[in-house]
This record gives sequence, structure tokens and C-alpha cells, in this order.
Amino acid sequence: MREEGMKKEGQYVVFRLGDENYGIDVNHVREIITMQKITEVPGTREFIEGVINLRGYVIPVFNLRKKFSLPEREVTRATRIVVVEVEGEAVGIIGDEVYEVLRLAREEIERPSPSIVAGIDSEYIKGIAKLERGLVILLDLERVLQREGRSSLESTA
Amino acid sequence: MGLNLDASPEELKLFLEEVEEHLQVIEEDLVRLEKEEGTEELLQEIFRAAHTLKGSSATIGHKRMAELTHAMESVLDKLRKKQLSVRSDVIDLLFEALDNLRVLKDEIVNDEESDIDLSGIVSRLQNVREEEAGPPGVTAEGANSDATGGEKWIEVNWEEIERIKAEEQAGRHLLQVHILFRPEGEMLPVRAFIVMMSLRELGNVIKSEPTEEQIEKEEMGTELKVLLATGKDAAAVEKRVKELPDIADVKVVPFSLQSEEKTADKEGEAALQPAAAEKNEEKDGGGSGEVKKKGGGSNGRIRSGRTVRVDVELLDDLMNLVGELVIDRTRLFRIASTLEATGQLDEVAQDLSRTSVHIGRVTSQLQEQIMKARMLPVESLFNKFPRMVRDLAQKAGKEVDFVMEGQETELDRSIIEEIGDPLIHLLRNAVDHGIETPEEREKAGKPRKGRVLLKAYHEENHIIITVSDDGKGIDVEKVKESAVKKGLISPEHAARMSEKEALNLIFASGLSTAQKVTDVSGRGVGMDVVRTNIEKINGTIEINTVPGQGTEFRLKLPLTLAIIRALLVSLGNNVYAIPLSSVDETLRLNWDAVEKVSNKEVIVVRGRVLPLLKLDEVFSLKIGAQKREKIFVVVVSVGGEQMGIVVDRLVGEQEIVIKSLGNYIGDVPGISGATILGDGSVALILDVPSLLKKAVP
Repeated sequence: MREEGMKKEGQYVVFRLGDENYGIDVNHVREIITMQKITEVPGTREFIEGVINLRGYVIPVFNLRKKFSLPEREVTRATRIVVVEVEGEAVGIIGDEVYEVLRLAREEIERPSPSIVAGIDSEYIKGIAKLERGLVILLDLERVLQREGRSSLESTA
Repeated sequence: MGLNLDASPEELKLFLEEVEEHLQVIEEDLVRLEKEEGTEELLQEIFRAAHTLKGSSATIGHKRMAELTHAMESVLDKLRKKQLSVRSDVIDLLFEALDNLRVLKDEIVNDEESDIDLSGIVSRLQNVREEEAGPPGVTAEGANSDATGGEKWIEVNWEEIERIKAEEQAGRHLLQVHILFRPEGEMLPVRAFIVMMSLRELGNVIKSEPTEEQIEKEEMGTELKVLLATGKDAAAVEKRVKELPDIADVKVVPFSLQSEEKTADKEGEAALQPAAAEKNEEKDGGGSGEVKKKGGGSNGRIRSGRTVRVDVELLDDLMNLVGELVIDRTRLFRIASTLEATGQLDEVAQDLSRTSVHIGRVTSQLQEQIMKARMLPVESLFNKFPRMVRDLAQKAGKEVDFVMEGQETELDRSIIEEIGDPLIHLLRNAVDHGIETPEEREKAGKPRKGRVLLKAYHEENHIIITVSDDGKGIDVEKVKESAVKKGLISPEHAARMSEKEALNLIFASGLSTAQKVTDVSGRGVGMDVVRTNIEKINGTIEINTVPGQGTEFRLKLPLTLAIIRALLVSLGNNVYAIPLSSVDETLRLNWDAVEKVSNKEVIVVRGRVLPLLKLDEVFSLKIGAQKREKIFVVVVSVGGEQMGIVVDRLVGEQEIVIKSLGNYIGDVPGISGATILGDGSVALILDVPSLLKKAVP
């Protein structure tokens, strides 16, 4: 029964980055924490903001704003780090504000088309949900966080 | 092709560990035996190890291993009974058998039968026996032990033997019931439970594998073995079990204590492990045999009973948790002092601070104990070296007396894992290039036999391991020559080099001073790899050599990988940790003291010119250029090369727990990892060797 439900609908943690809303599959999300002191790590990809201490484990924090070429914003009280787990590793993602867990039926999700998503490479997008208060861009986390290309960037740096 | 062994993966894992231990014992003892330290005790020990191996390999159904160990055992039996003298050809044969055993062991690891042919070695082992066969009366017994004993599926301990005896006196007999469930059947534990219930109706269950607790916890496969004391006959029991659902197969075979005791001796004491494997035990039958087993169990291998095997990962996790505790302790402390400062809640605050002090103490102890749990004596690594050195010396036609000291010295197991290859390489070098041939040695007025010493000991917060030989030493000029020839340095540079610098050229990649490459050296691990491996674990390596008298390699290693002592420094808003093992000193200087040499900033310390490294430049950090009059410089060195790192402030010295940066960040040039500071923030650990390469290209 449960399996059937999962096929028909998914749950997404929705967070805001600038003026846009993004959704991450709830199965990837481990926890949501307040902003921490981030230690910058030199020589890493630009969108890796640094590392934080998550209860004794050192995990990287991604700033998707840099990845999606969105304008920088100040850290506010509402800023959160969404801790996700991909391929067995924990990674933090900065969000300006985290809203709710959204339940989306399959029919509510549309395939991404370049016309509605400006800036972001459509390969990072799994789908788009149109809600009353706006669009939610559902991220393909594996693609967004993929480790490829790091070494080549590093060697040229 | 699979091996089809009669054991679960868990049993196999245990078996493999056991085999490795016994192989180690045999190998070490054979080396000692060859050195004529051969006492009867030593021979007994080897015999017992071979005997136990035979037993346990037979138990899991590894026929070839059982066959080979059996042949070895026969030879060893002759040796200990003095029907055969300890000759070098016999030892060689035993070594060869040992190598074959390792191949057989790997069969289990790979679950694939290897194509080695054992008939040669087995018959040669047998021939040794026949050549010098002792009085016929004694060999008769040996032949007797060839016969396969009664079928035995379940091992019993002496306690169970007591119960079996009581059951037998009460007129019940014993049956071994072997049940296979249909793998596709659902809820096997429940099925097993039902089987156990039904068997209980028929008699008393002495033992079952898996045990009832295991069944309850659902820790079971498709197999169930039960030792049942019953008045019913085998057929009746079989019939009763077959009536139950989801049973694929049932076998019922009588079990006799007599045969158990015999097989316990013949097939080895995997379960019983009595140390004394005296032959007359068989004849004694009843009473005294069992007393012996009881005694044997307690004075057997030292490690039995009081120890458990724990996955290293578990210890790592524990270590992480303790790290969190340490951080929380610091926070508690802070809360307590804040509360105290407000003046309110006076008593509560004091109570809190008392508690946090206590937690602090407990945490440190906990940390220490877990660290200890990760420690192993280096013996576990050293053990394999005598054999290796022996073989190397034989191949190179050299006479070598190999001495080891300080095997009991304890090191973190992850470090032990890391230093194995470097040590092998250093020992190979010592035998191959250090020690001269016996003729050369005689000519030089030295004893024919060279000496290689492997030594481990504590020194302050480090472990020192030295590999030294009394061979010909390293010819520094030859090293330079070779480096120039290979284009590593210019002739001018070579002329200017100090002896120490020149010696360190050995660690440069692409330099081999060996005139000829023997088949033992050049396994792909060069001296550069040796140094890299040692530095990777925050260790250092040093060479001392005296021409004509020998060479010593000195490894300085941290006690553990997980925790190191570090100097914390700050630069801008960042705190960095520098492993103390590479810190020489710290200096406070005026900016004027910084000079420029060919556009590079340097300082002069006691006549030595040291390049200066600015972290903000290397790491392209944007920190407000705080031009102060005074600067702090941390002088670091690796393998004799020094440099100064400019920092804003020295924060202090403390123990830090090393954490990985994870796969997403991966290797960062200049950074070897991260650590968590008392306030919960993350500090990066500087990778001094790689920074040094940047500063001194």
C-alpha cells in the first residue's frame, strides 16, 4: 500500500533562494539546521562555501546561489542549512528560508522547459510544480552535487 | 568454481582469522627452530598449531587443507618425538607446505579453487616420515589416526559432555539431527522454533546450532543442527520432523561421546582447544580424558576467553561520539560560567559547573580507553618479517642475523596498516643493498654473518621504529652522481649539497642507487613512496649512515592517526592546525628581518636561509592585510627541508582529532584534513609536506 502511495506522489522540502523556490526530495533530507560558522576550504569549487561541524562530522556546505549564478544575499535569521544525504555522504545546502514539506502528486509535476527556468541549467532540474503562490523547482540532487569535473577545475586553479 | 564449504560466511570469517593466527605461529616458530633455538616446547607449539588447523579445516570441509596439514602434522610429530632431527631440508619442506597452506587459505577468501597441485608436497612430507621411520610400535598409532572418525556435525564442550553423560546414564541415547529448511519458506525462525518444540516432545535438547536465543533473534539461515538426547530411535525422530512444514531435508545420525572424544583429538580441537594433545588420551577413554580437556582449555592460548573482536569502524564511531562529548563539555562549561557571572541561580550554576567538570573527567578517560582499544602491539606486523628476511637473505646469498626488539610496543592499528609496506621495503634494502656478501664481509674484517636490527620503542609522544644494518653504508658521492646523471640536480648543486641533503636524495622519485636490480627489490615501492607513506601519517623518516659500518633508517611515528598534537595558529578569521611533529620552533620577528632573495621572501635563522610561506597567498584568502611590525613565524621541517609559515597569532598547542573532509571536497593541496575545535567550529589541518614542496620547488 505504501509503495503505491510513493509512486503516485512525492514529498519535497521546499526552500527559498532569492525569489525562487526549490524542492528537494524528502528522502534525501536528513535534517534542517540553523546557519553555522562556515570554515572556508581553499582550492575547492567556488560553490562549495566551506565545511561545518555536524555533531562531530565535518561536512561540506554548498551555496547553490553560486552554482545557479543568482545574486548574493545577506545571511538572515531565517537562513538555514538543509542537510541532505547523497550517495551515503552528508552535504549541507544553504537556503534563505525553508518552508514546508510539500506533497505533490505526479500529475502536478511538469517536465522542465527552458522557457520557464532562467539561469539554471535544466539538467539539474527534475521537474517543476506550479502552485498558487508560484513555481517550485524540483532539484535533481545527484546531478546538482555531482563530483565530476572537480579534479580538472582543481588542476587548472 | 566455488569451494562448497560446510560453513556459513560468519564461520568462514572466524575460520580465516584462526587460520591466519596459526599460520603465523607456525611460521615464526619455524624461523626460530631453524636458528637452533629449538626447544621441545617450540616443537610442541608448532605441532599443536598444525593439529588444530587440520581439525578446523576438516570441520569446514576443506579437504585439501586438511590433507596437507595432516601430512605436516605427521612430520612435526616425528620431530617432537625425536624420530627425526631438525634438518634444514625438513624446515624448507615445512616452509613450502606453509606457503601452500596460504594458497589454500586464499581459496577460501576468493571462494575459488586454486590450481595448485599438492600431491608433490604431500608425498615429500610423507617420504620424510618414511625415511627415518621410528620403531614400528609408534607409527601404528599414526596410521590409526588416518581413519575418518564417526560423523560429527556438532562440537560439544566439556559442560555438554557432562550433560550427555548424565543423559546416557538415564538410558537415553544421543542423536544428531540436521535439518534444512526450504530457503523460499517464510518466517524460518518460527519454523525452527516449531522444530525445536517438536524435538523437545521427543527428548532433551543438549545443544542446537543456531542456539535458541539466536533463533529468537532471527539470526539464522536455512540450517538447523540439534543434538538430542532421546529414547526414540533415529527413524522416529526423522519422521516426526518431516511432518513439519517447509522442511527440505532431515538427517538423523547417532552421536556417541566415545567418537566425540576420539574425533576431538583426531580432528583437532577447534571447539575444545585443549593445549595438551597427548596421544594416550584416546586410550584412557572416560574420566581422565575429560578432566584433561577442562585443564587444557584454561591453559590454552592466552587470548581466549577474555577478548572480543571488534570492528575498527565501531571504534571510529565511538571515537567520534567522544569527540562530540568533548565539545559539549566545553559548552556546558561556558553556560555554567555565564550563569555564575549573572549572579543569579548561584547554587544551580555551581552545581552545573561541578557536573561539567565531572563530565569532563569522564570524557577524557573514555577517550583514552577507546584509544587504547585501537592499539595493537607491533608484533602483529613484525611477525611476518623473520621469514621474509630469511628468504631474502637466502636468495641474495647472504648470511643475515635478523634481530627484532620491542615487539610489544603498541601502536594504533591504522598506523600499523600504513607502515607495513615501508618497513618491508626498508628491510629488503637492508638485506639487498646494505649487507655485503659473506666474502666481502670477511675481506672487510667483519663477521661473515651480517646483522639486521628492527627495533620499536616509545619516545615521548612518539613511537620510533628503526631498521639498521651493519653493512656497507650508503656512499653519498654515489648518490649525488646518480642524481646528477638522472638530471635530478645540477652538478653545481650537487657540489654545494651537505651530506644530509645528499642522503635525502634517496627519497627523490626516480633515483635508485642499486647497481643492479635483483628480483626482490623493485616491487614498485621506491624510497619516495616510503617517505610519502610515512609522511601521510604525520611521521618522519631519517637516515644515518657510516660508510663501511652500516645504515640506520629511523621512523618517527605518532601514537595514533586519529589524534595528533598540533599547534593552532590564526590568520585573519581562520584557525589552522599544524601537526606538531613537523614544527621546529616559533619565532617572533620584525618585518625588517624579512629579506628578498630572487624575488622570494626569506628569513635568516641562525645562519640558515629559510623561505617564507604566506598562507593567505597560497590559499588566495581575502583577509585584510594587517601589516604589523612584528610577525609570527612557525618554522616547520620535513625530511631536513625547512621553511617558515607566517601567521597572525599563535593560539596554542593541543590534541586534535583528525577528520576527513569527505569525498565532495576530496584532496585539497596544502590541507590534509580538518578538526573540530572546542567552540565547535572547524579548523583546517595544514599538510606541511605539500606546502613545503610549494615553497621549495
